[in-house]
Amino acid sequence: MALTTANTPSVHASQATGASAKRRRPRRGQQREGLAGYIFLSPWLIGLMGITAIPMLLSLYLSFTNYDVLSPLGEAEWVGLANYKRMFTSDPSYWRSVTVTVSFALIAVPLKLAAALGVALLLNKAWRGVGLFRGLFYLPSLIGGSVALAIVWVNMFNREGAFNGFLAIFGIEGKPWVNDPSWALETLMVLAIWQFGAPMVIFLAGLKQVPTELYEAASVDGAGRFRQFLSVTLPMLSPVIFFNLVLETINGFQGFTAAFVLSDGTGGPVDSTLMYTLNLYLKGWREYEMGYASAMAWVFLLAIGIITAVFFSTGRFWVHYSDGDDR
Amino acid sequence: MHPATGNSRRRLLRGIAAVAVALPLTFGAAACGGDDNEGSGSTDANKPVELSVFYWGSEKRAELTQKALDAYKAKNPNVSFKITWQANQGYADKLATLAASGDVPDLFATDDNMLADFATRNVTADLNEYKGNKLDLSKFPPSLVEYGTVDGKLVGIAAGENTQGLVYNKTLLTSNGLPEPTTGMTWEAFIDWAAQVTAKTKVPGTMDPSADYKAFWVWLRQQGKDLYNGKQLGFTADDVAKWFTLWKGARDKKATPTADIIHEGNVTDISKQLVVTGKAATSFVWANQMPELKKSTKDELGVVAYPGDPSAQWARAAMYWNVANNSDNKDVAVDVINFLVNDEAAVTALGTDRGLPSNMDLRTKFAETVTDPAMKLSIQVENDLATKFGKAPQVPPKGHSTFRSELVKAAENVQFGRATPEKAAADLIAVVQPKLG
Repeated sequence: MALTTANTPSVHASQATGASAKRRRPRRGQQREGLAGYIFLSPWLIGLMGITAIPMLLSLYLSFTNYDVLSPLGEAEWVGLANYKRMFTSDPSYWRSVTVTVSFALIAVPLKLAAALGVALLLNKAWRGVGLFRGLFYLPSLIGGSVALAIVWVNMFNREGAFNGFLAIFGIEGKPWVNDPSWALETLMVLAIWQFGAPMVIFLAGLKQVPTELYEAASVDGAGRFRQFLSVTLPMLSPVIFFNLVLETINGFQGFTAAFVLSDGTGGPVDSTLMYTLNLYLKGWREYEMGYASAMAWVFLLAIGIITAVFFSTGRFWVHYSDGDDR
Repeated sequence: MHPATGNSRRRLLRGIAAVAVALPLTFGAAACGGDDNEGSGSTDANKPVELSVFYWGSEKRAELTQKALDAYKAKNPNVSFKITWQANQGYADKLATLAASGDVPDLFATDDNMLADFATRNVTADLNEYKGNKLDLSKFPPSLVEYGTVDGKLVGIAAGENTQGLVYNKTLLTSNGLPEPTTGMTWEAFIDWAAQVTAKTKVPGTMDPSADYKAFWVWLRQQGKDLYNGKQLGFTADDVAKWFTLWKGARDKKATPTADIIHEGNVTDISKQLVVTGKAATSFVWANQMPELKKSTKDELGVVAYPGDPSAQWARAAMYWNVANNSDNKDVAVDVINFLVNDEAAVTALGTDRGLPSNMDLRTKFAETVTDPAMKLSIQVENDLATKFGKAPQVPPKGHSTFRSELVKAAENVQFGRATPEKAAADLIAVVQPKLG
């Protein structure tokens, strides 16, 4: 583990020079350039304000009201913290959806990352046709969030589905996976894991960045394949792992489409696929409790924020932002 | 590679990670629709008006509706229609979204599952002032008009009438020499019959309707109760437990499919009803759905009333036409509704797709001309039952949609063996009670 944060000072150095360069008073040309910059930025900025920031602030306000979607916004009454209180004290479906979501993320995310890394390692070799395989493995995540795929999944994993047909070859009697409350969520997990293409591509890019000298040096030192993986590949890949972990965790928590399609928009059978976001949707649009749904959204946002903050704060112990030649 | 590259890579990775954190921030519900409702609020008959129309249904229904609206347009060239339609799944969500953005279409459809939700929040206009002048309901059965009234306001005009119908696979039964179910057989007799069908044909005799509010409703009325009493539930946890136990018995006798197959049938999608997917010999549906069901199966279908005393059934408004409360074209919208329900050409074009015509004179006339055998059966069973119909119940109150989804959940909990009928029933009441009103 000699590769730890050796380059911290250089960051400060570069920031310092950048800052001193900017301390000069801006000339008019520069100002105009700045203005042009903002103009070029404006489509994004307007989008951010109009589509994200303002609705978000509105939803924060709504989370303290009993807004019901159908009545005019002006008729929503201020209810203080009642929505938040109800969530934590008297809504069993809320905790049901938290359980479903957390178990989904806890199982699907690590397995997906492991699959992505494993396949990336295999495809990092320069054998013939490797490009084709990279493409094929990436394909599922291209069609990832699509409704069509979820429908295919339902048909593959119901009682008469292709998967049970496959099991039957070996004389195994399958289950009605998607229609059985004990297996429906697991079916969704498999779907999520199968779409490991996107993190895989990022892992591949990361693997290409690991300097070959390190492997040469390691093998001269007598390290075997496994040892090389542990001591060279993993540490050098840790920023990429970190990135994928954060991204996939957030994705995992936000899983909606597949659960919605698989359960016909109910979270069933028997709430087994009631993901947090699906529950939120049902509360807002089916039961017309948008105030409550907004409160759920904000708690969700905070929870994801906290989880991500935890990742970032633990990251310093295992993430190495370092290229081989930094030292 | 010199040191600076390492730094920028590090910063890049951190930057990307920060973006990743920002991503969930984008899940704000952006529900801003974009149609402008700039119609003229006109009583001037020749001023051009564009009326937005929104309903759910199949391709077939869209065709029929287009035909009927075209007929209106031929008589009123100043009116044009902006028609949007979609599948039943997600329709209520979409309508709620439109309501939230103040973009409710001038003329739209609802059914009794959502009417009170929208009416009590004043999304729908009160049409009482039009009754008798622009809107002729004199040929409607009175109960059908009543069934469109919420809190004294006339909020929905029945686009058609239907009633509960037990649809069975006639081909399967006759080819196995089994008797067909009959109107008036008791629930117990029906379940025994279904068990017999299963034993003989290997196809489960009946869908298990534990999760089906309309079957539960009929059964309740046969027990002298009702689904709602004002803004309260009209039944107790005991009643639900009894209902669940009745079907637990049926499952034990193998009269029904297994829980996962029942789950497949617990959707509103007509093409997924077990009687047409071949996974059960009977399904609990609405009588006017016969022609639509027939499309998904080659087998011949038959239809009778739900088991038990048929006087528990009633003439139900299968669907309503509603006018948006904030519409600028209320007069025109009402005129279109009046045309759709009272004009012979329109009624003939629409057929029984939204239920039997509400206008009794036209219903009789239309019935004589029907040739589609499935449609004929629909009409026949409803006409047979019409003499036995009981008093129509009130329109289900606000919160009914919650009851429906919670009933499915509770029933499936029992079907999958995860809760006793008593426990599931108690949980159901506890969740639904506070949502009503």
